[in-house]
Amino acid sequence: MAEIVQTSADVLQMQGVYKSFGARYALNNASFNLEAREIHGLLGGNGAGKTTLMNILYGLYREDKGTIKLHGKQVEINSPKDAIARGIGMVHQHFLQVENYTVLENITLGLPGNNRFSADYRDETRVISSLIERFGLQVDLHARIEDLPMGTRQKVEILKALYRGVGILILDEPSTNLTPQEVDGLFKSLREMVNEGMSIVFITHKLQEVLDVCDRITVLRHGCHVLTLRRGEATEEAFIRAMVGEEMKIQESVLFADHARRSPVVASGQPPRLYVDSVDYKDAHGVEVLRNLTLDVHAGEILGIAGVAGNGQRELAEIIMQVYPPSSGKIYLDGRDITGMEANRLLSLGVSYIPEDRLHDGFLPKASVAHNLILGWHHQEPYSKRGFIDWAKVSREAVELIDRYNIVTNGPSEVGANLSGGNIQRVIIARGMGHLSTLLVAHNPTRGLDIPSMDAFYSLLLAKKEVRVGILLISENLDELILMCDRIAALYRGEIMGVIERSRFEKYEIGRMMSGVRTDT
Amino acid sequence: MDPFLGQVISFARLVMESMVPFVLAAQGTMLAGRTGLFNVAQEGMMLVGASLGFLVAYQTGSQLTGILVAAGVGGGFALLLAYLTTTLKMNQFVIGIALFFSGVGISTLLPKLAIGVTLMQPLIPTLVDIPLPLVSRIPVLGPVMFSQNAMVYFSILISILLWWFLYKTKIGRDLRAVGENPMAADTMGINVTLVRYAATIAGGLLIGLAGVYLPLVYTGTFTEGMVRGRGFIAIALTFFGGWSPIPIFYGSLFFAAVEVLAYRLQVGASHIPYQFLQILPYIATILVMMFSFYKSPVPRFLGENYDREKRSQT
Amino acid sequence: MLEQTHRQARLRFNAPGVLRQTLPYAVALGIAFALAGIFIHLMGYDVLRAYQTILFTSFRSANSFVQTILKFIPVTLLALAFTVPFAAGKYNIGGEGQMIVGATGATVIGILLRDEPAILVLPLALVTGVLFGAIWGLIPAWLLLKFRIHEILTTTLFNFISYSIIDYIATEIWRDPVAGHPTTIPIGDSAWLPLVVRNPPLHSGIVLALLIAAAVWVYMTRTTGGYEMVATGANPEASKIFGIKTSRMFMLSLVIGGALAGLAGAVEVEGYQHRLIVGLQSNFLQLGLITGLIAKGNNFAVPFVAFFIAMLEVGASAMQRTMQIPVEFVFIVEALVLLCVLLSDVVRRREWIRSSVR
Repeated sequence: MAEIVQTSADVLQMQGVYKSFGARYALNNASFNLEAREIHGLLGGNGAGKTTLMNILYGLYREDKGTIKLHGKQVEINSPKDAIARGIGMVHQHFLQVENYTVLENITLGLPGNNRFSADYRDETRVISSLIERFGLQVDLHARIEDLPMGTRQKVEILKALYRGVGILILDEPSTNLTPQEVDGLFKSLREMVNEGMSIVFITHKLQEVLDVCDRITVLRHGCHVLTLRRGEATEEAFIRAMVGEEMKIQESVLFADHARRSPVVASGQPPRLYVDSVDYKDAHGVEVLRNLTLDVHAGEILGIAGVAGNGQRELAEIIMQVYPPSSGKIYLDGRDITGMEANRLLSLGVSYIPEDRLHDGFLPKASVAHNLILGWHHQEPYSKRGFIDWAKVSREAVELIDRYNIVTNGPSEVGANLSGGNIQRVIIARGMGHLSTLLVAHNPTRGLDIPSMDAFYSLLLAKKEVRVGILLISENLDELILMCDRIAALYRGEIMGVIERSRFEKYEIGRMMSGVRTDT
Repeated sequence: MDPFLGQVISFARLVMESMVPFVLAAQGTMLAGRTGLFNVAQEGMMLVGASLGFLVAYQTGSQLTGILVAAGVGGGFALLLAYLTTTLKMNQFVIGIALFFSGVGISTLLPKLAIGVTLMQPLIPTLVDIPLPLVSRIPVLGPVMFSQNAMVYFSILISILLWWFLYKTKIGRDLRAVGENPMAADTMGINVTLVRYAATIAGGLLIGLAGVYLPLVYTGTFTEGMVRGRGFIAIALTFFGGWSPIPIFYGSLFFAAVEVLAYRLQVGASHIPYQFLQILPYIATILVMMFSFYKSPVPRFLGENYDREKRSQT
Repeated sequence: MLEQTHRQARLRFNAPGVLRQTLPYAVALGIAFALAGIFIHLMGYDVLRAYQTILFTSFRSANSFVQTILKFIPVTLLALAFTVPFAAGKYNIGGEGQMIVGATGATVIGILLRDEPAILVLPLALVTGVLFGAIWGLIPAWLLLKFRIHEILTTTLFNFISYSIIDYIATEIWRDPVAGHPTTIPIGDSAWLPLVVRNPPLHSGIVLALLIAAAVWVYMTRTTGGYEMVATGANPEASKIFGIKTSRMFMLSLVIGGALAGLAGAVEVEGYQHRLIVGLQSNFLQLGLITGLIAKGNNFAVPFVAFFIAMLEVGASAMQRTMQIPVEFVFIVEALVLLCVLLSDVVRRREWIRSSVR
């Protein structure tokens, strides 16, 4: 892979880094350089090794081999405590905060201050308040984390690092939980920090983002370094090629093709595949999670649900899948009332579900791959007859699915926990697609998939669209929605703020709806 | 003195005396639980504390040595629990259950090895009451609260100390964070492993003490199964007390009161078959649990082991 | 259908695979015995003689072999009473109490209907025992679902409650005035389990136990219900989302566990003791738990491990008689075996290497 030229302006040099988890290698001779006062984008698909490399820098993982040099001197980083002591801070994709603590407690967590046996935060408050002023990160120190919206919580994460006086700040996919407007605000804050002397690593898989804000861009693929260039020194195509490698046919892909080969949605006289009518949902704590929610998905249509995480997406998906009933309102499948139907009956009607948290909600790690491939359909023919499961048949079909969906595994009887994240996702997709004939509910389905797999999935979706399956695509990735959907609805605090047709898709308009601005369409 | 008042005082005294094993075992459970380690081996640990503590006190003639050894063995069990779960990542319930019946087995084996079978029960002198100067003369409150044995005072003090430590210090905040979000704590530089070990072992010391209290105060000797479920009741108590030291203290008083009441009724109301009164504390526990498990603010990561490198799985 | 599954089972029996599975167990056993041997030596006893006694006593005479079987029955059933809920992710520590109420139920029928014909009483007593045990598992299950109370606590508390129940029945209601220890009067002959072997007497409880063990295995591995239970234990969230009624599974698993333990109690009364003796539960709970844990929840392995444990227990009694080593000592051996088996898991996961590198 390409060599890096090292200059003396480097504050950080990582060379020859190897890291494997069991039999899988995540980093294979990776390298990375960071100059002073720059925003450096670390670009690549899922599984390229970007987060792993930075986790090593932050002391969360131990590298198998490799060197790390800070300001020219070689260092060993054994724990986050070490990293922080050396001025390295990290903001993770999923915030690491204690929900029922205040902002102040979260920022000062782990630091004894003047007196670890007291609860006197006066000095700390003074310092943090000045940081808030300097970098424009407004937040109420005494608010509880669980009451704050995602964008604010991210500010807390950044303040945590700034408070510890870091010189290098790593941000892992920071735009995941933000509206487009909030993303712009973040970029502005990052510029402020760089002007004050910091260096920033910006991990992402979104090319557009790095082109917007980064000074230099490094691409990783399969755990090693591919190229490092300044913004403007290469075309978009060059970066894409670097991310996906030689095998993938970019021009024919769904992701990168210039035109979208898709059929328009033809209105038929039939009732919509899915009709959600004025659904309310109050959870166990009495909180209103969904409010008067109405939407419809037509046959052959991909309807997107945009929104920052935590606005009711999960509950919407689970209510449609009949995991639990809504507090009020009705749900119709092909015109038939399915409200309160048993979940396993719904699955036998050709409805499929790809849940968001694949490990937690969709997978049985201690069971075999074969077990996992029939979960949800295990009580139906041909797998099960008169109460007994035909394991021979299950096994045969499992082998077929493993082949068709490129699942990397030793076989149907391998323990699920041994599979990598991406392969677990493939199992879940294989299972979901296999019995799909009417409606697909997919929540963040491409999370964790590398670029070719993402593309394969999008092709699958378009194929299903051709056979008039209705698809409800709930995603926190706005680019994905804009690419795939016929219409996009925005969800905010459990309400649909508006629905936009494909011809009028506009990032900031949708972003406004995601922030709670209602739009009549 | 008014005989009714006399009854009340003697009842209250007995409650104060009886709450000690509940408080100590529950606080020990709470402390470990606050860092995410769900100890279910208390019953076994208390039995070993009682058994070994009694034997040592008997052989050496020193109550204090017995007490210290009991605390030590409780800490030892806790160290094993912490090692197998935190470092070797084994299932906390499985290890807890294994340690529980290990404790049962060891506690019956030790007396047989050390003393063998004897006709007369070996006895040790029980703890004496230590009346505190001045305050023990206060009417009613004096005899109830200020003329008790040393471990009663210890139980009260430790509860207050734990409350202050967990809620009024920064280091307590860090400890609690380990149970609420160990990943967050780890990334902020807190040594999750060390905190879990420390809290669990400290908790184990208290549980060992809870065990040795029984022979040392109630009977003067060790009998098989003398813990009678108090270890498990302590777990219920911890939930009942919302995993917080002061409510746990009050909850222990309540349980002790039920226990004393059942005992008093057995003696006093002999027309009720004693078996019905025996089950009173357990029924009370179940009733209490019905109202406290739903809302109990359990530490978020209670029962889950933390593996720094496991993030790669998602 | 059944024939096909048999063929499958045979196909999967490939020699290297089986060897790979059992080797860690053998090594663990070896280490445990070595450690126990050191302990015995330090205490001043003859190690070789101790090994011989503890391992071979069961096979020395027909009588001791029957003794082993008699222990094997309740240990197997109580182990299954733990492993079935364990498969669903639930921890049933209440085998003791469930066994006691099961025994009580069988005794009640055996005494009340002592004059009725055996064809009625025998099955009725068994069913009552199973039913009582099931109820004793049902109540904690209900408390779990309705009030979210962890079953480890409720099942244990119900053990203690059952002590009082059996005490009451044996001392107040049907007390046998002649017996030195709290015991009821004997049950009627019509409730006795028929003998399989006459001399030394071995009752048909063994047949029941083996049938039940096989049935449990078939249920868990080959039926839809078993699949759902295993899935529920593997990931309750995912199972719920994909249509499995997890609450029902939790409840069913605890009820089945209670029923199994209740059966153990009924069989003890009807086959062996023929009356309700306070303390009949002996140390079967501990033995059942150890067996279930050593078998790592694998229902196929449970009978084998149970036999091994029963063997050790019989050997331990002999050891106490002939060598004056306290019988509780066998418990150390069993605990060591459990520890080594659990650790062999860890070694397999290579946790050792990781933790020593850190």
